[in-house]
Amino acid sequence: MKRGDGQAMNSAVSASEFMAKDLLMEDVLPLAQAAYLPGAAYDEMFDPAGSVREHYELLQHRMISLGAEELAERQRTLERSFLLQGVTFTVYGAESATERIIPTDLFPRILPAKEWSVIETGLTQRLLALNAFLADIYSDQKILKDGVAPKELVLGAPSYRREMQGLYVPHGAYANVCGSDLIRCPDGAFAVLEDNLRVPSGVSYMLANRDASRRTFPGVFRQAGVRPVERYPDLLLSTLKTLAPERRSDPQVVVLTPGVYNSAYYEHAYLARLMGVPLLEGRDLVVHDNRVFMRTTSGLRRVDVIYRRVDDDFIDPLTFRRDSALGAAGLFNAYRAGNVVICNAPGAGVADDKAVYAFVPDIIRYYLGEDPILPNIETFLCREPSQLSHVLANLDKLVVKAVGASGGYGMLVGPHASAAEREAFADALKANPSNYIAQPTIQLSTAPCLVDGRIEPRHVDLRPFILSGESVVVTPGALTRVALKRGSLVVNSSQGGGSKDTWVLAEEPRP
Amino acid sequence: MLARVADSLYWIGRYVERAEHVSRLSAVMLNANLDLTAGAAQVGDLALTALGYKEAGKSGQLYDQAMGLALNREDAGSVIVSVSRARENARQVRDQITTEVWERLNLAYLRMTGEAADEAFEADPAQFLQEIIADLHLIKGAVDTTLSHGEGWRFLILGVYLERAQLIGSLLQVCLSDAGAPAVTDPIALMSLLRMACALEPYLRAYTADINPRSILEFLLFDDEFPRSIRFCTSRIQQRLEELSRQVGASRGEALRLAGKLDARLRYADVEEVEAIGAGALLAAVSGECAGIHEAIYETFVAYPLEFSLPA
Repeated sequence: MKRGDGQAMNSAVSASEFMAKDLLMEDVLPLAQAAYLPGAAYDEMFDPAGSVREHYELLQHRMISLGAEELAERQRTLERSFLLQGVTFTVYGAESATERIIPTDLFPRILPAKEWSVIETGLTQRLLALNAFLADIYSDQKILKDGVAPKELVLGAPSYRREMQGLYVPHGAYANVCGSDLIRCPDGAFAVLEDNLRVPSGVSYMLANRDASRRTFPGVFRQAGVRPVERYPDLLLSTLKTLAPERRSDPQVVVLTPGVYNSAYYEHAYLARLMGVPLLEGRDLVVHDNRVFMRTTSGLRRVDVIYRRVDDDFIDPLTFRRDSALGAAGLFNAYRAGNVVICNAPGAGVADDKAVYAFVPDIIRYYLGEDPILPNIETFLCREPSQLSHVLANLDKLVVKAVGASGGYGMLVGPHASAAEREAFADALKANPSNYIAQPTIQLSTAPCLVDGRIEPRHVDLRPFILSGESVVVTPGALTRVALKRGSLVVNSSQGGGSKDTWVLAEEPRP
Repeated sequence: MLARVADSLYWIGRYVERAEHVSRLSAVMLNANLDLTAGAAQVGDLALTALGYKEAGKSGQLYDQAMGLALNREDAGSVIVSVSRARENARQVRDQITTEVWERLNLAYLRMTGEAADEAFEADPAQFLQEIIADLHLIKGAVDTTLSHGEGWRFLILGVYLERAQLIGSLLQVCLSDAGAPAVTDPIALMSLLRMACALEPYLRAYTADINPRSILEFLLFDDEFPRSIRFCTSRIQQRLEELSRQVGASRGEALRLAGKLDARLRYADVEEVEAIGAGALLAAVSGECAGIHEAIYETFVAYPLEFSLPA
């Protein structure tokens, strides 16, 4: 038994006697002044009556037996270790760039096996349908002809790439790495808020957080029976290999990064290192005769599969943005000739467009003939005049998002915005309605976080990672993103969000 | 291995070696500053000249100079800049080095650039510099004991030895280039010279406490076993380049040819000959040929013309 985890279990108090408020008993956490009060939102740890949920009991014991001081110390150790490992992102100020660690909370978010299995089958279903949708959109466009999704909405989406029309994509897998954002609604059910099919990031933080939580709560981790996420890099590599051009034995896989100044550079290097493949920048690539090479010390070497973390627009200045120095000239032609595979496929983003999102349930029914397992959030398309007027009348209750934007930019959270901000947004809406969608403001679920030495509820979402090559694999874990400001619903790291580890429990708890 | 990666690894080696050398010079200067003898006064001058600061017309209090060598971010030759650049290069090839190497290097960087660095230096400069040197030794230890001794390691080590050969060469040029009438004869200054080359203890073991310019020249130029002698460095440069050339195909061998030439020059010369013709000529040749090897490495492995390497 490590670090006295067992001691907590042997203490006289049984698990069921603990309530939410006990977490903050003065002798346990002297810094606490108010009780842990989950609000209207679903709380991951406590039920509405304030009793701890069963799958959180072990962790709660440990939180109490460690006490405030030791928890704060472990939080500091965790932060030091992230700094040392270089798990950082770069913040560019007026004069200098500083590296900061990703704010990370030491308490894992715990998901029982039963809940996870819904998520897993739901995400698999969703990705199969989205890949079928992409294959259709870039070939016969049956779904548009059948009028299930509006033609001008799909083909007019900024992420639609006409250059992809008629191209062969191995296994019809366009979105090979997908990171969907799920939220838990107040009724406890998960819904999909967003699909990320372009270059989703965060998986390295999932792995780094896991490393950290194994060290922070070793005993609880062992006893709880947590499913491992450590196979992600080798599953990613084998997924990428299944996509390699035919007749290439032992294909050369590479990761393509925009470079060391990209905020997700840590992740690019991390994945390349754990897959054991080269990490390339655009300047390392040479395209000759529709074949792609990298400059090595021993001359040019053929490249077969490019896991690119560079946006569509920047991968080839000859085909997309001419001013891009991040890709390689001629890359897209080599791709079109079938001599190299680019993952995710260019143009995959049309399926995660915020307006196309509204049609995903119909897309699932259309291609799979099944009802969606994971629901969407109700979405108003401002391009429809009737929906626009509803949105304008209810701006104080809705979240409005720009269709092309991501990362929490170009977004209005109605209930938290000032009247002036709402007015400015209303003008923007009226000027260009088809650029916006709106959704009801959902109270994301909350999970306990250590904030300034106190345990407080913070809103969280869930980003699992799904791989799709020959088959679809959902990694049994996720990045839980945390809105660090009290009451805030914005979890994006670019907007000051943090993260925590996510434990998916195995079916049978270990004896 | 990617050409860009090889280049970065090579520069990590150079910067780590440079940081260690400059830290040591800074420490020796500060130590000499405590004595009031003429020989001690000379030490600061020698160190700054060897690092190329005298031509630049830099002057000022020795303590400030030493602190600047360590922590001045504006000075391209300072320890803080070298460590930052080594880390920047490491970040760019993070996938190619081990976590152990990265964490040691990152730790040195965090120590140098942390808010408390200036304060720590002022509180106890000797301690501060000693810790930095220890950090840099740990980096090299991690390089040797955790990296595969393949292509990447060879480029890194190549950078270390080329940098070292040039730094020790420059130190000797300043102090002993005229073997008949050396610039440095004062015993305290000679001892400091050995300290700057991290050679005092090994020298004493080889020559006893008889510290004279001729023996120092012989030791730092020709010793076969001391890892900071120029002969030791050039033989390692030659070995690593031979392995690398074999690894990437033997046809492109300008760097190897130059390294072989330099290695032979050091291998078959001795101190009598050097005294006869003057150490200055040999040291100038070492410096010039190291620069030539540096260029040739870049041409051979990194910036080679594409037309020769495209498949038919």
